[in-house]
Amino acid sequence: MNRYKANGVKTVDSHYKVPGKTKWDLKEKLLLGLTPWQYIIQAVRNPFNWILAAIFAVGLPLIAIRFIYGLSSVTNSSYDYPWGLFLTFGLFAMVPLSSSGFMLGTTVEIFGRHDFEPIERLALLNGLLGYLFAVVYLLVDLGQPWRLPYPMVVAYGPVAVLFLVGWHVATYLSVQVCEVSVAFFEWIGFPVGKQGVRKITLGLTVSGIILSTLHQGALGALFNYAPGKVHPLWYSSAFQWLHFFVSSIPGGLCMVIAVSTIVRKTMAWRCDDNFRDNLDKLTISLAKGASMGLITYLAIKLMGIAHDNKWEYLATGYGAWYLFEMGIGVILPLILFAYAIRRKMVGLIRLSAFLTVFGVVLNRLNTGMITFNWKLAEREIPTWREAIISITLFSIYIVVWRFILYRLPILYTWKTAGEIATAKDTARYYVPGEDTEPATAGSYRSRMEEGIVRPVRQWP
Amino acid sequence: MKRRDFLKGCMACGAAATLGVSGKAWGIGSFEGYPEGMGVLVDLTRCVGCRSCEAACNKEQHLPAPDAPFDDKSVFEEKRRPTEKAFTVVNRYDTKKEGGPGGPVYRKIQCNHCNEPACLASCFVNAYTKTKEGAVIYNSKVCVGCRNCMIACPFNVPGYSYSSALNPVVKKCIFCYDTRLKYGKPPACVEVCPQEVLTFGNRNDLLKIGRDRIKEKPDRYVDHIFGEKEVGGTSWLYLAGVNFDQVGFDTTMANEPILSNVKDFLGIVPMVLTIWPALFTGFHLLATKNKNHTNHEDGHSEQEDHKP
Amino acid sequence: MYAVRNWLIGGIAILALTMAPADSRAKSIPDSIKLDSLVNLYERVDFNHAKHITIVKDCAECHHHTTGTLVQDADCVRCHKNSGATPVVACKGCHAAQPFSAAALREKNRTAYHMDKLGLKGAYHQNCTGCHSKMGGPTGCQDCHARKKQGDAFYSAGVIAPKQARVDVKHRSN
Repeated sequence: MNRYKANGVKTVDSHYKVPGKTKWDLKEKLLLGLTPWQYIIQAVRNPFNWILAAIFAVGLPLIAIRFIYGLSSVTNSSYDYPWGLFLTFGLFAMVPLSSSGFMLGTTVEIFGRHDFEPIERLALLNGLLGYLFAVVYLLVDLGQPWRLPYPMVVAYGPVAVLFLVGWHVATYLSVQVCEVSVAFFEWIGFPVGKQGVRKITLGLTVSGIILSTLHQGALGALFNYAPGKVHPLWYSSAFQWLHFFVSSIPGGLCMVIAVSTIVRKTMAWRCDDNFRDNLDKLTISLAKGASMGLITYLAIKLMGIAHDNKWEYLATGYGAWYLFEMGIGVILPLILFAYAIRRKMVGLIRLSAFLTVFGVVLNRLNTGMITFNWKLAEREIPTWREAIISITLFSIYIVVWRFILYRLPILYTWKTAGEIATAKDTARYYVPGEDTEPATAGSYRSRMEEGIVRPVRQWP
Repeated sequence: MKRRDFLKGCMACGAAATLGVSGKAWGIGSFEGYPEGMGVLVDLTRCVGCRSCEAACNKEQHLPAPDAPFDDKSVFEEKRRPTEKAFTVVNRYDTKKEGGPGGPVYRKIQCNHCNEPACLASCFVNAYTKTKEGAVIYNSKVCVGCRNCMIACPFNVPGYSYSSALNPVVKKCIFCYDTRLKYGKPPACVEVCPQEVLTFGNRNDLLKIGRDRIKEKPDRYVDHIFGEKEVGGTSWLYLAGVNFDQVGFDTTMANEPILSNVKDFLGIVPMVLTIWPALFTGFHLLATKNKNHTNHEDGHSEQEDHKP
Repeated sequence: MYAVRNWLIGGIAILALTMAPADSRAKSIPDSIKLDSLVNLYERVDFNHAKHITIVKDCAECHHHTTGTLVQDADCVRCHKNSGATPVVACKGCHAAQPFSAAALREKNRTAYHMDKLGLKGAYHQNCTGCHSKMGGPTGCQDCHARKKQGDAFYSAGVIAPKQARVDVKHRSN
């Protein structure tokens, strides 16, 4: 795609193919404004797609096998280890990483920090897709996935923490769909919908915070059902839910940094100036937030150990593993963040963000699988089939990410008719000979009714 | 004076009403089981490991044929646990006494039908019910297959039919509720046991019998009835002649039911639901004070002018 | 002539004495007792009572104190120091065949001392195998009562045992 852009191929970034005259239709929008042949060529040339094809070739049949022959054909889930890789990775690890939705929503809408807007939509989309795929992983893991709506409509067990998780995730998904729908309505050309959602944004954001606090905490509280089964260093009788909730904060923020890094490298053609120019500054700001989350998390983890007086466990084998997880997932990122933020070393910040994400994932895997049933002699190792299905589902997640990012105005600003007509002629992608639709300089992003503009940076 | 007397009378009555009413001043309280709840006292000093109970359960609950015959003693070489095909199993433990090996002790494992079951507390479709006869039964028609009950059960009892593609459900001992307990009859394993290891009766009576047995023969029994208080009390109670941790019991269990561990979090939920809206709306109003607000209807719409 | 009469009287007397039971108060002591409460699974047990009398000698070993002989157990002596024989001596007279039926539980006298009385099957097995393991008698299930075909079906054993004799290890734990 970068090659196409360099050669001046016009991609969809507004309603109009030719300003004032022809509009893109839906098929053209879906194909990014390319001809079908151009689209296929770019897909085939992309080496990442070859890797994806290989994964799907093995993974999709395995998923079919899981549904035809039952869970025992693809997992090692046993009576002592009912939860395997699907849940501990797909649900427990992906949900805290998807907390970016409510974090950035709160930052922009509640605290009024509109300088975070260029990255807000990316964070909202990260949140939506993360939760959506957590539900997908759940559907693959549940014994009878077609009964997933039962706690909503058929039988209620409100004393169960999982009841809360189920209801909240369902409600929160709706909230996030609404929040991302703003971008969707822009793209599809439905301004009424967009206005409607913008009116309730504050309410949506506040409900998002409430729901997120509770279900991030509830996922932790699920392990309170098994006090003897999770290793004491990963289990806190009083604070388990707080540990999970607080660790979701740096998790989500660093996931946004991680995703924006990947996107900037691989989808440079799609990112507009607004995004690109502000990204470094925003990365540093996000890192500041993540550091505060991390230091708080470190403190409450230590308090959890002190509360139950579990210091002697640190001297065991599991203790060493715990120190590794905290070291690489919390302490090292803290040091790197502190060093890099001050010196504005964005590359180091990004590395540190990846480490934090790794640390959060490792924490969930440890709590749910690796140190689970630590008193039993036998450990359950997931089968290769489980790992491949998890990777396949994650690849589908990446493909959906890419699909949406290519099209919806997340990384770029959707241009209105007025903006195209008044754009100046100092574009980066101006191609001689093409005098009808030059790209605009200093793109901006409109937050409300068409026509109101807030320039972020002016080109000379 | 009459009005004053009237008011005094009202206050006195009101005070008396509030003082006299609740016995719940100390908190939620605990559930000791239904008064007519039945139980089974398992006397491990009597068990010889004949596995007739496993055979009886298999027949009564129409379980699939086992992999090994029920009189095959070689199964004792490994420690087993209840599965989807075997709601109860017997394990052998070679115990030690001072100075040398003691004899083998056999333990029957099955659902303990707790007073406040963890499985029931963790099920989000309310599939489990604690009946007044004492059994903890489940409704496989609503089971979604989340397996949270298997995580929660401190005794690692529920099994799951992973191999079924269309209707995998939880499988565990149901105290023969549908076929026997409902009608006041003892479960199949109790009826078949040749050594009368299993004594069926009202749970409170069984506690008395258990204490009597310990009192009559203090050299034969360890002075503890396992299940009297563990995790809130269970309906299946155990007596043993050796320390319980030597025969595979988890003696680190608290006396609180598993539900107590999540009660604090569940209590916080309505607090967050109520406090967060005001808190964050307050933050919003404070944080956006100096920005221009237009069209501020009901505090819900939030639009700002940014004049360049 | 008188000598013959005396011999006849003496012979009859000796016969009467030897053939009369030792305790003339008791009913006749059976030599063999048929135990058939488990005939749905096992063959009937023909219990050789006479043999056990010769081996054990003391009735109280199995019948507690119901035959009039004193029992030495410290717990029992507390109340039954001077207890005589009871009208019912057979095991099934006091030990119920269905100790846990709804009726039996309802009737249970919670203030009586023998609240923890074994049922019939439990009494047989505990009393018998308890002594057998000390004295080297039969202790296996089929040593006393052979299994019938229905019994084989019940235990999934014998003629219809499954082929492999090992436990399925795939989904087991600890």
